[in-house]
Amino acid sequence: MAAHSRGHPAMRERGFSPAGTSPYWWIRPCAGSILFLSLLFLFLFTAAAASAAAPEEEKFTEELLLRPLPDRKALAYFHFRSSAPPAASVGRHHHLFPKAISQLVKKYHISELELSFTQGRWNYEQWGGFDPMSTNNAKPPGVELWGFKLNEGNLRYGALPREAVCTENLTPWLKLLPYRDKAGIASLLYRPSIYKGYYHSQKLKLRSSQSLGIILDQTLTVVLQPNTVSGEQLHSNHGQLQPNWSMRHLFNRKLSGKCLVSKSSRVFIEVDKGIVDNVNKSGSDLSWSNEFFVLSNSPDKLIKGQNHVEIQSSFLYVYDASNYTEEKPLDVGITWKLPLVWTCTPSPFHASRFLMGSGNERGSIALSFMSTNLHKQISGSPTDCSIKAVIFQVVPWYVKVYYHSLEIFIDGSRKTVSEVVDKIHVIPSEDKLLPGTLEMLLRFPCSMQSGTLTLDFDRGFLHIDEYPPDANQGFDIPSALVSFPEFSSARSYPEIDPVLGSPLLENFQEDSVVKSYTEVLLVPLTTPDFSMPYNVITFTCTVLALYFGSLLNALRRRIGEEERELKKTVVILKKWQLLASILYRKFVDELF
Amino acid sequence: MAEIAGDEAPTPPPPISGEVSTDPYTSIPASTGSNNPPLRTTKPGVKRLILTASVLLSFLVGLPFLLKSTEIHRSPLPSDAITGLAHRLHSAPPSFPCGLHAVFLRSVPDRSDASLTRRLEQSISAQLQLLPATSTAGNVSVSVTVESAGGCSSSSSSNVDSGWQCGTVTSADLVIGDEVFDELLHSALGSGRGDGSRVYTVVVVEVDDAEGMRVVVGKHRHAWVVGKADEVKAVSVIGKVFAKYFMNGGIEEGEAGIGKGEFMPVGSDGNVVLSFSLLNADPSDWVYDWDFEKIGERMLNPVVEALRPIAEINIESQVLYHTPKSSYSYSDDKLGGNVLSMGDIPFFVNSNEWHLDTSTSATGRSKVLQFVVYIPSARECPLYLQLPDGRLSKTNAFISPMWGGVLIWNPPDCSLDSKKTHGTRKKMSSQELMETIEIFIGQLRQLFGLKPSYLSQDMDMPTKFVVSEKGFTEWELDLLYRHHACSNLLSCLTTLESLSSLVRSLPRMIVMDEIGRQVELSLEAANLAQGNATLGISDSSAVHATRARALAEDAFFHPSIMSISYASIEHYFAIYMPFFAPVSLHVLLAAIKELKRYKAERAKYSAFLASQATSS
Repeated sequence: MAAHSRGHPAMRERGFSPAGTSPYWWIRPCAGSILFLSLLFLFLFTAAAASAAAPEEEKFTEELLLRPLPDRKALAYFHFRSSAPPAASVGRHHHLFPKAISQLVKKYHISELELSFTQGRWNYEQWGGFDPMSTNNAKPPGVELWGFKLNEGNLRYGALPREAVCTENLTPWLKLLPYRDKAGIASLLYRPSIYKGYYHSQKLKLRSSQSLGIILDQTLTVVLQPNTVSGEQLHSNHGQLQPNWSMRHLFNRKLSGKCLVSKSSRVFIEVDKGIVDNVNKSGSDLSWSNEFFVLSNSPDKLIKGQNHVEIQSSFLYVYDASNYTEEKPLDVGITWKLPLVWTCTPSPFHASRFLMGSGNERGSIALSFMSTNLHKQISGSPTDCSIKAVIFQVVPWYVKVYYHSLEIFIDGSRKTVSEVVDKIHVIPSEDKLLPGTLEMLLRFPCSMQSGTLTLDFDRGFLHIDEYPPDANQGFDIPSALVSFPEFSSARSYPEIDPVLGSPLLENFQEDSVVKSYTEVLLVPLTTPDFSMPYNVITFTCTVLALYFGSLLNALRRRIGEEERELKKTVVILKKWQLLASILYRKFVDELF
Repeated sequence: MAEIAGDEAPTPPPPISGEVSTDPYTSIPASTGSNNPPLRTTKPGVKRLILTASVLLSFLVGLPFLLKSTEIHRSPLPSDAITGLAHRLHSAPPSFPCGLHAVFLRSVPDRSDASLTRRLEQSISAQLQLLPATSTAGNVSVSVTVESAGGCSSSSSSNVDSGWQCGTVTSADLVIGDEVFDELLHSALGSGRGDGSRVYTVVVVEVDDAEGMRVVVGKHRHAWVVGKADEVKAVSVIGKVFAKYFMNGGIEEGEAGIGKGEFMPVGSDGNVVLSFSLLNADPSDWVYDWDFEKIGERMLNPVVEALRPIAEINIESQVLYHTPKSSYSYSDDKLGGNVLSMGDIPFFVNSNEWHLDTSTSATGRSKVLQFVVYIPSARECPLYLQLPDGRLSKTNAFISPMWGGVLIWNPPDCSLDSKKTHGTRKKMSSQELMETIEIFIGQLRQLFGLKPSYLSQDMDMPTKFVVSEKGFTEWELDLLYRHHACSNLLSCLTTLESLSSLVRSLPRMIVMDEIGRQVELSLEAANLAQGNATLGISDSSAVHATRARALAEDAFFHPSIMSISYASIEHYFAIYMPFFAPVSLHVLLAAIKELKRYKAERAKYSAFLASQATSS
């Protein structure tokens, strides 16, 4: 699972320290505590939550969640958890847990690590921005790495936005599962189906501590277009039945039993709050066969989910894969009876990022926030309320951002920085050493419809050796992360037994801040002619040689002697002229 | 001369120009005599000559500075020391002196005097001369002790001291069994081996009522011969035991094994990872697990400790699933199972499906030895290995040199083959796991070049070998240390020689100081190893030889050696040619021209002087 290092060396960013070991700079020196660490707290919290149940032996669980999406697509979320208890033999003797991972943890003293390989962008408007799925599994395109080392507070972050993700990344990921894709839920991973999707994100998340041992979560999130026979009018969903799909349509495979060594093996079908509300409105109950849709198999269990602001948010139909065998495979699917239109809950603001300016010298980065009017839906709170947002952005050193040029516009009118920014923390970039990092805590008024932040930058020059092979394509700036610390996407499942032991639902229950990633930016830099050094050398040397040669000649010139020579030639030339004129005259005389 | 002169000054002298006044010359007017060569009336000036010469000179003086400033850094390698080491190793390969102490325990009261011991000593030495010598053992010093009821006498000619204490062991002690007698002998020999060189002891215990002779080789550095034997027979047996086992590990001439070719499964940095994997070929039939961390560690730790002077060993284990074999086996009703013939073994290891990953502890140039327990699926169970002569393999295991070993383990419920024991996870019993690890220890011995086990009829009399719980007996370890020290020294030398010739052949190669330091340390360690070898301290010699080899390899594979491509001679020329080629051409031509001209002018002037002299 070695991270691919094909990317540009400068993009493999060195880790940085948020808490002051490396040079940092406060724009507002009066700002006291460090609020930008909310991300860090998130990780610590999840670690603490999971430490409650320390496992006795190595365990493996596999789970799959399927969910219909409003834009006629379907989401599949595979979740595999391997855990190793804290033991002296960690890194040397293993039964289910991958030896390579435990050795990695042991050697580099990793306490947290999250590595994701993503292809495509998560569609925050259509697929949701307020649920655990989008908060934890919507990742920026390319490769992203977060990590913490033990006994070291520093966050280590790296991103390769241009990395293409393919089966070559999936194979080593699968090798970490005890059965690979030979049996169990992973056998559904039929490559042509899962790589045909609109979004594909494979992730590896590690947590380790003395009390916890090592917990390895491997997830794969794919958004697929159900491969149905009646594929008419795919892009409109008004008055149109949603496509019916089942596992066979999505993956070209059916599930024939569980992986033998897994402790639990479950398939969930989740229906969104939008569908639940519609069904409730119509007055029918949410059984697996109601007046809007019918599931192809009767579920083993039905779980109601709640999120922390709503009474009821979603429904989960649970299937236990161990009840199915090769002779009787599971092919769960959904068949729609009535047309249904719903939307997913969005995040409070839709964040996007773009470049402004022209030319190859300077430009500016703009971050724009469009309100989704979520606060009105949630609480109908008074107009003088405010919403906090944290921006975390890493910019490579060759894009030289002038942090003092920060300008903020709210609903078109310019605001001073102190009106909106509560805290700001900047680590300026160091040439060829450290990318620049910007963390800001903003406070937007609830009534804001659109807000924009702009930052000016200069495009730097790289050394000739540092350009990647295709320099003219431009350089990528990794996605910025926007999080809303006042909003939590955690779900709670009051009806389920805590001993159900579903790591997938455990993850959904964890308190995680709503966050979303912006687009990757492509900045074209001035690229030199790469044969230039030799041209310069040759040209300069020729000029110098010319100068030197002529100087030397001038020094040893004898003007008197030359003048005599000149006179001599003049005499000879005159003789020749005389001869020529005589000949010419003769010639003319002969002609006429 | 006449033509040139005619060309040069056909016209009357011009008015002298102020600017070039330093070099005025006038010729005698043509009217005075048209046939005379033009003559100089003034001495030719040297200003321009000095100017061009000084420019040329400054270029010549500057050249070493330029070369010095553009020179690449090359740490000086001690090539003399390397050739010195090569010379020493080739002329006198490291040989470990060792001693042989023969003890005769006589039951009958005998008059033991110095002449008897000297005679025995000479005959044993003569016997050793006849037997084939070994490559690593140096000169053998022999001593003899004869102990009888009457007393105890030792030969005092050599300084071999095995620490034998007279009177502690008698022939009556034989009844307690070989293992205990072995320990008794060990304690009798226990003290007094401080000098480090190895002394091997062969005790001849005379027993009257025995029908024949019997040899027992202990797990320390001694063996004993029991029986009634005359002197000649006893001496021949002593010589044979010493030469065949203590010196050669029981490997006959022409047999593969230690000291015959490349045999070291040790990484060049002296690390070995023993990776044990339990492969469930088809977990839908049955899934087995094992308790390797408890039993395996306990059984293998003595082995790891014993081999520490030659290799730093790490042990790892894992369980893998869905790992079918990739060779074909056929069902044989007569043998009651599926049979895999010897010819299919090369295709047994399925590298596509067996993810026997390397390990983070096997970084760089260390070695991973894979030991695999293969559990066949229900379809191919039980699975046996068939030897070329048609018999089934006793251990059901095979080794692959430098890779590791494979053992096929047929689970106990496999012969039931009726109902599927679906979905249950079972454990290998600890008894079976111990047997498996014993086979793996045998395979490890084989991978290190020793015999997996000795045949009891190897000598022309019954021979017994006391096995050690370490897997390796002390005399076998001595043998391993000696061979590893030798082959590591030779390999270190080869690496250093290659590095030195590489550096010599590439004059533009950057050689970092670190490489030079590593080479020096490696040479130092090699010298230490050699010094210890001449003293006979084999384990310390092996440690130093391993270190020498590791350092030599580190120097050879130093990443900075790759920077050669950035400082090539072509690159150098491409940068400096465009300036220096035209400029040096100008300077050289100017200097030559000026010199020529000066000579010509001086000739004219001297001619003028001569003409003046004749005219006046």
